[in-house]
Amino acid sequence: MASQGTEKALALLRRLPRVSLGNLKPNPGAVKSARRGRGIYGGKTHGAGSKGSGQRQNFMRLGFETGNTPFYLRFPYQNYYKGHHMRLSYAPLCMGKLQRMIDTSRLRTDVPVDITQLSATQLFSINPMEKMGGIMLKDEGIDHFQATLNLEVQWATEAVITSVERNGGTITVAYYDPISLQAALNPMAFFKRGVAIPRRMLPPQNLIDYYSDPKNRGYLADPTEVARERFVLAQKYGYELPDIRSSPNQEMLLERKDPRQIFYGLQPGWVVNLEDKVILKPTDPELLEHYAS
Amino acid sequence: MLLSRPNILRSLGRTVAPCRSLHNTAWLWCFRSAVSLDKIYPESDLDLTKPQQIPKTKGHNFSGYVPMDKVQVTYSRSSGPGGQNVNKINTKVDLRFHLASAEWLSPELKEKLATKHKTSITSDGFLVIRSDKTRSQQLNLAEAMDKLRHLIYTAAFVPPPPAVEDIERARRRHEAATRERLRQKKLRSVTKQGRRAPELS
Repeated sequence: MASQGTEKALALLRRLPRVSLGNLKPNPGAVKSARRGRGIYGGKTHGAGSKGSGQRQNFMRLGFETGNTPFYLRFPYQNYYKGHHMRLSYAPLCMGKLQRMIDTSRLRTDVPVDITQLSATQLFSINPMEKMGGIMLKDEGIDHFQATLNLEVQWATEAVITSVERNGGTITVAYYDPISLQAALNPMAFFKRGVAIPRRMLPPQNLIDYYSDPKNRGYLADPTEVARERFVLAQKYGYELPDIRSSPNQEMLLERKDPRQIFYGLQPGWVVNLEDKVILKPTDPELLEHYAS
Repeated sequence: MLLSRPNILRSLGRTVAPCRSLHNTAWLWCFRSAVSLDKIYPESDLDLTKPQQIPKTKGHNFSGYVPMDKVQVTYSRSSGPGGQNVNKINTKVDLRFHLASAEWLSPELKEKLATKHKTSITSDGFLVIRSDKTRSQQLNLAEAMDKLRHLIYTAAFVPPPPAVEDIERARRRHEAATRERLRQKKLRSVTKQGRRAPELS
């Protein structure tokens, strides 16, 4: 049996009319009148305080700190800070470390390796809220890299792309916005929240060119152009490009996420229920349209 | 409900459909949003494994394509400082091929290479390129490939014939120089004659 308070609340809900602007009012004391105070309790200083520029209605300008250099003038404008709020940093991962992770069975190569797989190794600390974009691959150890895998990271240089492709693998760079990245880094924690999987957002203006370029193997680039760039890079670095079509892992190597997808096999809009081991999918056409937009 | 393909499609909604050529193999259903690759590039066949047309080399026009199976690459240890890394890792790259029997080069190019870069050709007829510029084998091989292409392009380079205006300009300048030289010569001659004793006729 529910408590008295709950019962009363439910009874109220049942009998009161719908909430509208006509039956709402602010809490007492929330809104202060703009009028000058009158009468005994609004009198004497009339809401203007004691002495100073406030009472004398000769207000100091915003930011003024009575003579000392104000906060907003203390720090000089430097060009190297321009756009710093938009710049992302990435957790570095060199190819030697990647090879070591594979050799010590810390990372599987029979499934596509994306940020979720790499984060599951628990060897990286990536904080999307600290303007971190994910993982970037570095050049060190490119000569010793021998694994064949389908890799998806957030930044990769030409030498890194070469070392992956010459071993018969594929590499893509993909953008994850902070919310999607947080979900991708720890899927179980995200599913426990019980919220619908969001759509992954497209890259911002300063990054869209990078992720649309086939030379960088961007996820928004045309795969046919990427195929051409693979051939050109193989010629530049002097190796025969392995044929993916004749590879036994062809399906796995060519598996790609949609630009709006965060997890392989899961769509935006779905709710994953870990307790009952079911996936709840929206059926409303408006919702379906939104999540596929 | 039968779990046939059309039924699955209907239950999952119209956002799920067979992937168009993202794989060349069996039918796979996947999520496609409004910004999926087939919507951004509607005319493309979206094939990452599309075989590329190998560009042909004709006459003096080198296409830039070097078949790696026709070229021998060997690795060895580099020289210079570098401690354990330079002592143990094979970072030096030796790229060679027999010039006369290379089918991927045209006869004209082979002739040009033999004359212009004969210092890079061994007595056996192998064109040799070495590189140990960087600490990485991969980057050194890229440098060797770049050197090879540079050799071929510089050998193939035929300077264009001079333009009509340039020939004309050169001729005018040459004639002007000759005229001036003869004028100076005449002046000098007059000066020298003036220093002689006058002839008594």
